[in-house]
Amino acid sequence: MTAVKSIPVEDAFDLLVVGSGAAGSVMAAQAARAGKRVLILEAGPARELSDLVSSQIWARRLKWSGAYVEEEGNLSIGHGFNSGWGTGGAAKHQYAVWPRLHENDFKTKTRYGKGIDWPLEYQDLQPYYDKIQAEVGISGDAAAEKWRPPGEKYPMPPTPVFSQGRVIEKGFQAMGMSVAPIPLAINSVPYKGRNACLYDGWCDAGCPIGALANPLVTYLAWAREAGAELRNHAQVTRVIHDAAGRKVTGVEYFDAEGKQHRVHGQAVVLATFCVQNARILLASASDKYPRGLANSNDLVGRFLMTHPSHAVYGLFADETLPYQGPTGGQLINQDHYEQKLKAGAYGSYQWLIANALKPNDLLGIANTRPDIYGPALQEFMRKAAAHMGAMIFVGEDLPLAENRVTLSSKRDQYGVPLAKATHNITAPTEALCQAAVVEGLAIFKAAGAAEPWAGQRFGMHIIGGTIMGSSPETSVTDSYGRCHDLDNLYIAGPGLFPSSGAVNPTFTIHALTLRSAEHIVRNIP
Amino acid sequence: MDQDRRQFLRNTGIVLTVAVAGEVLLLSPAQARAAGLPLQVLSAQEASTLEAITEAVVPGARKAGISQYVDKQLAASHEDSLLMLKYLGVAQSDYLSFYQGGLRSADKLAHARFEKDWPELTSSEVGMLLTDISGTQPEGWQGPPAAFFFFVIRSDASDVVYGTEEGFAEIGVPYMAHIAPPQPW
Repeated sequence: MTAVKSIPVEDAFDLLVVGSGAAGSVMAAQAARAGKRVLILEAGPARELSDLVSSQIWARRLKWSGAYVEEEGNLSIGHGFNSGWGTGGAAKHQYAVWPRLHENDFKTKTRYGKGIDWPLEYQDLQPYYDKIQAEVGISGDAAAEKWRPPGEKYPMPPTPVFSQGRVIEKGFQAMGMSVAPIPLAINSVPYKGRNACLYDGWCDAGCPIGALANPLVTYLAWAREAGAELRNHAQVTRVIHDAAGRKVTGVEYFDAEGKQHRVHGQAVVLATFCVQNARILLASASDKYPRGLANSNDLVGRFLMTHPSHAVYGLFADETLPYQGPTGGQLINQDHYEQKLKAGAYGSYQWLIANALKPNDLLGIANTRPDIYGPALQEFMRKAAAHMGAMIFVGEDLPLAENRVTLSSKRDQYGVPLAKATHNITAPTEALCQAAVVEGLAIFKAAGAAEPWAGQRFGMHIIGGTIMGSSPETSVTDSYGRCHDLDNLYIAGPGLFPSSGAVNPTFTIHALTLRSAEHIVRNIP
Repeated sequence: MDQDRRQFLRNTGIVLTVAVAGEVLLLSPAQARAAGLPLQVLSAQEASTLEAITEAVVPGARKAGISQYVDKQLAASHEDSLLMLKYLGVAQSDYLSFYQGGLRSADKLAHARFEKDWPELTSSEVGMLLTDISGTQPEGWQGPPAAFFFFVIRSDASDVVYGTEEGFAEIGVPYMAHIAPPQPW
């Protein structure tokens, strides 16, 4: 089905925000606070805190349930796991690990001859990191993070280190390496009316007590308080533009009953995560833009990235009680973050240490050893439940033009082509991963694990696909996410990142979006 | 239980309903299995094979209602489905063929090797077949790759055996729910 030109315009807003995740929520909140009339269109269902049931089985309702994404390549971006569904998007099930990008992440092409430079420097983002941090609240110990770039101290003390963290920390010490409490957007103490964490490890199922800074208790809540309207089950299929092709005029979407709508906005922000943003742009092709919107230079969808990751596991003689603490982990190591160039390898990396584990699910205890079953599995489960340790390597990905989102020949129920996501890693990233696994196993042995093992490589987070830059020839948007081709069409979210860095992206998404939001608010008539 | 709660539970697709003397009861898959409720999607043969395999892989899966769980999730909408398959790169339109194809191939393998259905196999015969399925692509296997199929149904079985409050307690893990699931799963 294609868009029907005769659809009447039902309503007009100052700002249309497509997507209610981290980026969309910050954008909507800032615009609504500035008195703008804001409409948020969310493809998934309404979700409230009361929906965040403590169960790894029930938690799957928070994962992607929209149009299927075809994936290929030697390292899948894991769209089904890494994306969210419903109000709050992927940020609703984030683990709230909020380190900052480092200063050396922003000009990798200039500094190392690899990747793509950002159109801004760390110093441009620093005030926004600081503002977000103060508004949302982060628990951590800035002094202990000897690798931390400049910035205000955290407003809350670090979350506690439990037995699993203490056991694994010994391995880092023995290897001459450092650890610090993970900077977490999780309240270690009550903060601005939100509860403190109970450390029960249910982050992946969504935190219903408000201790973890998901959009339901931060920017989305603030956006709605300031007057922003949220419409759920609003599947945007197309962005529409004026006859001259210089400005977008609004979007078309289908509601839960399958009725098509058209709404206008002074500006449109696509904040539907990397893959769907690219898909909507490509599917919005018109006579003026036959290759899709913002795609004059065939860059939409390209430079798709994910953080290549490995878990390292071990059984320890000491009790670790791995059910305690945040899912994202208790401690962090970024000792070697500044050394992106290594023999045959490229990229920064970090260790997230002592992740809370549940018995089941993809990242649960049972699946850390998918090779055992029967009575051996029963024995393993009982021992691991009290003595297991885990940590996760998060590596930098290289932005490669051939890693991209394209449109499939298959279509969804609305007639929109499905997205196809292709992602491969190359030799420098492979070498980075292999070296990290060797290091991780050595750390665990040094901590006392007799036979540590590494899990299969997986893609953590999704980044790129609509990268920002200084030139239309090399990027889709400017540093504010404004598309080079269309004056009032903006992209928000990690799809803008020209390089991945090796830290969890949600804090940077917030900071970058806040910077863009201030720009947009200034420029909406 | 109020009407909203009932509707909520039905919408999640994790419980089964049955009318008894005019009263609609909500049952967990384990209770449904004990009550002998009919399956909606899987055939009796498919359920029998699924139970025999998963019981050997994750002891307790049969009693916990593995067939009722998978069957109900296969009948649910994509948005309501709780299957782990949801984030393993399989399209929802292919969920049913994934399970049916794997179970059919498992049946064929059991007959080719031992001329038996799965419930009739000895434990050593089951062990030999599981070694093949989990580590290789047995000759003539069709449908999803054997090792991937094994991983998925092992995960399903881990869900029903270890992913509940009772399953946590079985291995000494406190459940510590913020909001307890209205049914175990």
